[in-house]
Amino acid sequence: MNAGEAAIPLLIVLLIGYALIKKVNIYKAFAEGAKDALPQLVSVLPYLAAMLTALEVFRGSGALSALVRMLAPVGRLCGVREELIPLIVLRPFSGSASLALLRDTLTEYGADGYIGRAASVLVGSTETVFYTVALYFGSVGVTKTRQAIPAALISGAVGVAVGLLLIK
Amino acid sequence: MDEQRAERCSAFLNIGRTARIDSRMMAWIFGIMTAAGIILFAVKGDGAGALAALVKGCEGAVSLTLTLAGAYLFWSGLMRIADEAGLVKKLARLMRRPLGLLMPDAPEAAAPVTLNLAANFFGLGNAATPFGLEAMRKLDRGDGRASDSMAMFIALNSSAVELLPTSVIAVRTACGSAEPYSIAVPTFLASIAAAAAAVISCRALGRVIK
Repeated sequence: MNAGEAAIPLLIVLLIGYALIKKVNIYKAFAEGAKDALPQLVSVLPYLAAMLTALEVFRGSGALSALVRMLAPVGRLCGVREELIPLIVLRPFSGSASLALLRDTLTEYGADGYIGRAASVLVGSTETVFYTVALYFGSVGVTKTRQAIPAALISGAVGVAVGLLLIK
Repeated sequence: MDEQRAERCSAFLNIGRTARIDSRMMAWIFGIMTAAGIILFAVKGDGAGALAALVKGCEGAVSLTLTLAGAYLFWSGLMRIADEAGLVKKLARLMRRPLGLLMPDAPEAAAPVTLNLAANFFGLGNAATPFGLEAMRKLDRGDGRASDSMAMFIALNSSAVELLPTSVIAVRTACGSAEPYSIAVPTFLASIAAAAAAVISCRALGRVIK
């Protein structure tokens, strides 16, 4: 049993104990929190369907492997395994598509090998940069985004690099 | 009251506009991927394969949603308990001073920014977005140009510092991982490094890109 596995149930016990002392109706709170997750699940399904359809046909036809072949030499220069390149390419654009691709990667290469763990860390430690930028800057009508996008992309690249170093 | 309502209305309109900008970008990605795939299938003379792949994508979406549902309900429930116990607010108070270092020109945005980062930290994506929009409104000077604080906020939001990468753990569990949580610590450390890089590059580039 590793540290993370032991720590998480312990944190949950501490949280529940603290909430009880604070006289929170934890049963009701839990149910209400879970209820909040339902519309999110329903609204994400159609977008998942659209993205996965595009992804499936893009990959099934061999177009994805052609793109990856084109980018593989760049990855090799930076010491990134070829199997991880599709995830790195897709991650800034779509959270749901990256999750779907993560599932495929784990199914194909196993969840607990190097590829599986590296892929998990890549997806977990980075964000959908372009979506975030479009949503937040768009909400106040900012068009001169200055250093925000380069800084966000540099941050993502550093996250990927550190994640890969830690997994090795 | 009316002013408030007007403000809320304009916020909604703006959200609508963003959705359009965002969906236009996604429309191109969706269109290029689908068209390239179908054309490649056609070149190979495999029309049936193209149709099968298109439907298989939607089937995958249904099963992925069901896979994610259990873990998502559980963690959302737990995070609501943390919220009602006052832990989320406590964290916001704790973070007000360090945030001042990152965004010196916008003390009034400290609360929504902190709540946004806190909600992200606890994996409450649903709660994080409204706080983020509120923070952007507080930071906005109406000149259509990103301030250093805005850029910092966006950069921080682009590095996913999260206590537990719950969706990744859910996918790992579904794929039969023997130790789905083993990636939690390296993921956390990598995201901290990404956040540090966001802060440093935002500061440095802000002097160059005016």
